[in-house]
Amino acid sequence: MADETGSIRFHPDGVDVPGIPGESLLAHALRGGIPLLSPCGGESRCGKCRVLVVGKTQGGEDPGALTRAEIAAGIRLACRCFPSSGDISVTILPGSRPARLTAYLDGKDLAGDEPFLPLSRAALGSVPLGVALDLGTSTLAGTLVDLSDGSVLSRATADNPQMACGEDLISRVVFAEETTGGFELLRGRLLSGVDGLVRRLLEASPVPGEVTDVVAAGNTVISHFLYGISPSPIRRPPYHPVRKEYPAVPGETLGTAPATARAMWRIFPSLGGFVGGDVVAGILASGMHRREEVSLLFDVGTNGEVVLGNRDWRITCSSSAGPAFEGGEVGCGMRAYPGAIESVRIEPETAAAEWTVIGRGRPAGLCGSGILDLCAELFRAGIVDRAGRFTSRGAGRRRSTERGEAFVVVPREKSATGCDVVFCESDLKSVLRTKAALCAAAEALLAAVGLPREAVARVYIAGGFGNFLDLRSALTIGLFPPISLARFAPLGNASLAGALGALRNRRRWKEALSLASGTLYHDLSSDHGFMELYQRGLFLPHTDEESYRSVLAAEIRA
Amino acid sequence: MALTAIDIYKLLPKTNCRECGQSTCLAFAMQIAAGKASIDLCPPASDEAREKLSAAAAPPLPKVTIGTGEREVVLGDETVLFRHEKTFYHPTAIAVSIRDDASDEEFASRLAAIRRLSFERVGQRISVDLVALRCASGNADRYARAAVAALAATGLPLVLLAPAGPLAAAVEAAAPSRPLLAPPPEDLAPAAKLAAERKLPLQVRARGIEGLTVALAAARAAGALSLVADPSPETPREAVSFATNLRRLAILSRNRDLAYPSAFDLGGGFPDPFLAAALLVAKYGSLLVLDSADPADLLPLLTLRQNLFTDPQRPIQVEPGVYPIGAPSESSPVLITTNFSLTYFTVRGDVEAAKVPAHLLIADVDGMSVLTAWAAGKFTGESISKMLAGCGIGEKVTHRTLILPGMVARLSGRIEELSGWRVLVGPQESSALPSYLRRLPPAAFLPVHG
Amino acid sequence: MSVALPIPGFPGRIFAVTLPAGPGGTPVTVGGQNALPLLPEGEHPNAPAVGMEVRTGPLELPPALAGTIGPFAGNPAAMARKCAGDWGARFLFLSLAGCHPDAGGQSVSFGAAVVREVLSATPAPVIVGGCGDEEVDALLFPAVAEAALRPVFLSYAEEKNYRLVAGAALAYGHGVVSWSPIDINMAKQMNLLLADLGFPPDRVLIDPLTGGLGYGMEYTFSIIERIRLAGLSGDAALARPVLCHLGDAWKAREATDASEGTWGDVDARGRRWEETTGLACLAAGADLLVCRHPSNVARLSGAAWR
Ligand code: SF4
Ligand code: FES
Repeated sequence: MADETGSIRFHPDGVDVPGIPGESLLAHALRGGIPLLSPCGGESRCGKCRVLVVGKTQGGEDPGALTRAEIAAGIRLACRCFPSSGDISVTILPGSRPARLTAYLDGKDLAGDEPFLPLSRAALGSVPLGVALDLGTSTLAGTLVDLSDGSVLSRATADNPQMACGEDLISRVVFAEETTGGFELLRGRLLSGVDGLVRRLLEASPVPGEVTDVVAAGNTVISHFLYGISPSPIRRPPYHPVRKEYPAVPGETLGTAPATARAMWRIFPSLGGFVGGDVVAGILASGMHRREEVSLLFDVGTNGEVVLGNRDWRITCSSSAGPAFEGGEVGCGMRAYPGAIESVRIEPETAAAEWTVIGRGRPAGLCGSGILDLCAELFRAGIVDRAGRFTSRGAGRRRSTERGEAFVVVPREKSATGCDVVFCESDLKSVLRTKAALCAAAEALLAAVGLPREAVARVYIAGGFGNFLDLRSALTIGLFPPISLARFAPLGNASLAGALGALRNRRRWKEALSLASGTLYHDLSSDHGFMELYQRGLFLPHTDEESYRSVLAAEIRA
Repeated sequence: MALTAIDIYKLLPKTNCRECGQSTCLAFAMQIAAGKASIDLCPPASDEAREKLSAAAAPPLPKVTIGTGEREVVLGDETVLFRHEKTFYHPTAIAVSIRDDASDEEFASRLAAIRRLSFERVGQRISVDLVALRCASGNADRYARAAVAALAATGLPLVLLAPAGPLAAAVEAAAPSRPLLAPPPEDLAPAAKLAAERKLPLQVRARGIEGLTVALAAARAAGALSLVADPSPETPREAVSFATNLRRLAILSRNRDLAYPSAFDLGGGFPDPFLAAALLVAKYGSLLVLDSADPADLLPLLTLRQNLFTDPQRPIQVEPGVYPIGAPSESSPVLITTNFSLTYFTVRGDVEAAKVPAHLLIADVDGMSVLTAWAAGKFTGESISKMLAGCGIGEKVTHRTLILPGMVARLSGRIEELSGWRVLVGPQESSALPSYLRRLPPAAFLPVHG
Repeated sequence: MSVALPIPGFPGRIFAVTLPAGPGGTPVTVGGQNALPLLPEGEHPNAPAVGMEVRTGPLELPPALAGTIGPFAGNPAAMARKCAGDWGARFLFLSLAGCHPDAGGQSVSFGAAVVREVLSATPAPVIVGGCGDEEVDALLFPAVAEAALRPVFLSYAEEKNYRLVAGAALAYGHGVVSWSPIDINMAKQMNLLLADLGFPPDRVLIDPLTGGLGYGMEYTFSIIERIRLAGLSGDAALARPVLCHLGDAWKAREATDASEGTWGDVDARGRRWEETTGLACLAAGADLLVCRHPSNVARLSGAAWR
């Protein structure tokens, strides 16, 4: 019996999971529903799935991610470590346990007031309720509405439980393809996340009733999972989704929990493989599709989507921007949870950093807006050059780390973790890539239709992060094209706002359906000019620094 | 000025009816702007739109063809002044000359030499395109016979450099091969008539752009329509200037009277013909006649032409294969990345900086970066395993350990399974390679046994 | 009948850059133009200049070079004298490749001594190239900057080392060559970085990385054209003279392989291969060419019109 794989006990949860040879510890944890950070989806890229192992295992001793001492102490990467024999005890290290998301903001709806014309009002004796959902790559958000008068009853957010199978969408598509039962697992996780969210909405509602309608906005991959179709084709040229429209069905067809099983589910149509219904909902909320003037809409999230257009025409694309602003890909990055630094100032003379922290405690890391501020401040203070490399300034605030030289934002004695919160050149390069991809996506759209930047009258920033980001910092590092600050308008969670708008007014829903066919999807991977625009963006603020200086001299360091 | 997609969109019906096969009117406008569609495909378009858009779509530089069939040579039909703006479509045609007064033996051996001016480079055949037959004998019969012989021996289209009499005789004998008639300036009138009757292309020779204005008008008046303009420069410098200004007149000024492909006779004592030829391949020469048949001259010129007339939008790629960095041994690390040239340059630079000699495998993914190639399914466990087996790295090293870019760590399992190589996941960032490589224990690259 | 030619007028002008000479030598000034190359339009106060490469360290010479520059291998000072004196090179590119650990690893002080020797052997303007090894160059450039008793240019500054190279050049009054890998945007970025350091624009040359004929020449060709058009159109960061190394031409099999009977004489072919690479660079807008074959100095100067 000694050779048989025994059971695996996960600490501190104290859950036992039967061992399966050839399955990683991460996979065991997933099976057992044990929270374990795995932003890279188990590809041993992120090094965040650290566990302490007692018992016989194989692998997970990656010399790149773990030091010799750590390996000797029994620390392993769960995604690369496999049980070999006997019972095993696995302790999930504190840094590898996900925190809870608490901060959330409603989106703005700029599309204007309209009569209350709800999608349906099938009152079967009780109050008809509607649920607006924003199904994000990392976050699920919902609003419960009384469909008899349109009032908001409750709001809730939750992590997308699919995160455990990959932080970015492509990783999830690959997971669904390559893991046996991967698709069902991911779909099940999504449904359980959605059901849980709806349950909390109903629990929090002051008015009991029956959910008759659900309107959901999500990216194309998530919409496919929800609708039960394979997102596989999206990852291969020509990157087309299986379908762009999702005819309304009752929840029981989708397999949702009883609370919404009899409700009609309407999923926002997708525009393309990487531009989904969340963006359609964003357009709806911005109202750009009703105006003659030309607008740009940025949805800054795990991916970055951009829409350019007006009443008559629209064109959209998705930038391959990584999740640098969600805290991924940056060493000391974290999501916008308590303990995250959300804003930073650097005193140019002394290079000392000041910061504010979500929840006012000690800082543990940097969230997106903090990262953005930090980059802008490092540049303004002359601590990094235009290429994102450290200069001789502020050398006293730096130290060398495993990942190269790093700027110490928070010294260990002031941090929540007892470690320095640092930011190194490779972090900055990662931010540079993200911002270059986003800015270049917008420029590629302008180039595709042949419009100059000056033709853009409004710039909408959607996405939760959009509400917090300091636009001056964003423009200082060239996250957006050089357009006068006065033309920018943050929308917050525009996707949820758009879903809510459609729930309250069926004309809006009709608009959403027509937006899908009247908005052109532009595939950046076959846009020959994109790589060059991207290269231009890999600079602070941009290779075309003249334009930033002339348009934004007052807002950014000229 | 070319119309932008938005300019074109404004002329369209804006109904997104999809009859043109595009999903929206904007998509169709973008196709027209890129020259990939014509307004005819939009049935509901207004007459005004049709008129404006077809005028804008006409090529600024007309197309002239010489020869027929497989060997047909196309001149002109270019739309831009600089290749980076779009691309150059029709490579400078190169003709090598032969004289009709050579002895039969010399004539035959020269033709054989011309035929040999054809080379295989990077999977393409690059060759001299035409034979330019110089009339030195003054004898019409002899010239006509020479034309027939040259056609028979080489199969290449002809440039007939001859006065009116011999020209007519050669046309009589070789018209179906669609030769280019290249009379001296004084014989333009009869040659133009001949070209008009036989519907053959005509090279109009006159001194400078002013001279060409008159001569081209005369040729047109005689009914010759397929014209090539030879401004007859005296120096290479003049040649470049004439060629440039002819092309600008066509593309910038849309001057229909002078918009013709250009031709240059760089033989017969033209100063420094090689230099002139190289510059004219780079700068707007459509047809060049050379007296040299030396492969040491022609191979570089044909290669230059091959280079400059490729599509500049193709991503810069590196030849796939195994690249040694430093002086690697059989126990040096093996790394892999993709053949996008910037990726290659970056990784190469960082490995060099590590000062650890290594073998760098460059995978063929059509010039994509690592992540793009992975997302597109071109850089996969399968393709990497195939490369490991087929590229010969197995003979160069005794170990079986591959360092994989950190961004595609997910491929490691599949590679290990398929290839039997052990995979070490390298850093996410190429810039971390130096410290990563230096830290690797040599034990990682011990020979495998059994 | 007169035809109006659509000759483009440009708002910008390329900075004139002078490579200083020693006593009795002739400095080389390039740039200063406000028009495209090779054409009799606009102002071209200076013709492009053709120079030659002098190098330390081992280099396997192809047949076409072995007979001409072969005898000078290992003697940079004699080679420099020959290039500038007999072969007509207007400037020299002294490559200290021999300091590379893989090329014999001559010491930094040896490299600096070679620079001093070459500078006293000829008054011709000199550009000194590093060995390409990041760590060695970090020591080599400051040493060369100090050892050179008259102003030279240091080659090259790239994103990774520009602070060091430009710093050394600034301290001793030298110029720099700013390098980027066939990318117009990176070329501009390099020049903006140099400008941020306060480096004077009239002491900077752009090296866009020159691919040899048949092996990437077309990319270089278009990048030079674009750099030039941008500079002339008013992008000051790109309004610099462009330097092209023709050395890559000699890496082509076509330039060196004597075994291919149908390719013609290998000497003539090798020379032509380098010459063609150089002519394409001139047509695109290059201002300085560095060649290896002595006869190409005169050949290429034949197209170095003002
Ligand atoms: S056929 Fe014409 S009107 Fe219809 S979609 Fe195409 S461009 Fe628009
Ligand atoms: S390293 Fe990312 S999940 Fe294991």
